Amino acid sequence: MELFRYAASIYGDSRVVIGASWDLLPWFVAAGAAFIIVHAVVKAIAGRRGHAS
Amino acid sequence: MSASETSAPVTPVVAETGERVLRHKLVDRLYHWLMAASVLILIGTAFLPIVGWKFEWLSLHWMTGIVLTLLVLIHIVRALIWQDWRAMIPDGADIRDGVRNIRAAVGGGGPAPGKPGKYKILQKLYHLAVAILVLAIIASGLLMLLKIDTPFWKRNPYWFDADTWGVVYSVHGFASMAMITLVMIHIYFALRPDEWWLTRSMFRGTISRKEYGEHCDASRWRVEDRA
Repeated sequence: MELFRYAASIYGDSRVVIGASWDLLPWFVAAGAAFIIVHAVVKAIAGRRGHAS
Repeated sequence: MSASETSAPVTPVVAETGERVLRHKLVDRLYHWLMAASVLILIGTAFLPIVGWKFEWLSLHWMTGIVLTLLVLIHIVRALIWQDWRAMIPDGADIRDGVRNIRAAVGGGGPAPGKPGKYKILQKLYHLAVAILVLAIIASGLLMLLKIDTPFWKRNPYWFDADTWGVVYSVHGFASMAMITLVMIHIYFALRPDEWWLTRSMFRGTISRKEYGEHCDASRWRVEDRA
């Protein structure tokens, strides 16, 4: 997996960056999902602890 | 030390409408929902073709981008002139209460965190992150308009060399993907039952007196008593 998208330069002798790699898209979605899950679990545990005390 | 003893700036006095407290004026709610629609259209037109849903996305994308640019410009002018922009900047009391909240969440002792003013520290940090990303997306997006023909101008792809265009496109791409993460988190908080009082206020504009007392420090977000 690469961080960037590349294309051949107009001279054909090198690669130039043309943008961010779209392979990263699932990782950004996963980061959002991970935050949501972790937050929901922490809040649920904290809420249960609050009810118990 | 209570919040009222800190040097934190107190947000402007806000209007109370009978038993309800005005939290978001109509113009601010309109801005929020128009920005939300713009961002969702921009995300859809940017990423649906990438995941395989092919359609003519470019015209809708750049025109919506122009709309978002105008909305953000209006918001910046309004925030700087008619609103207290400092209310959205984390202050000492926010940081202190944030540390206390973390300590309480992990079961540590110490004093209980105080209530926030109009906005919690996480809302302020979220706003800061969105502001950075949206400004990066707008700046890079406006430059990218130079590479397409529109009814208003002809493309000029030679404005920058290939390497510089690569930087511009990379900034636009990374910031746009990060916006998906932030939009997911924003919608999650809006749907959480313990945050419904905030979500409702973005529809109705007001919160109840009870919600104001439960969630906000009156010394940090004062309500003008007009009743």
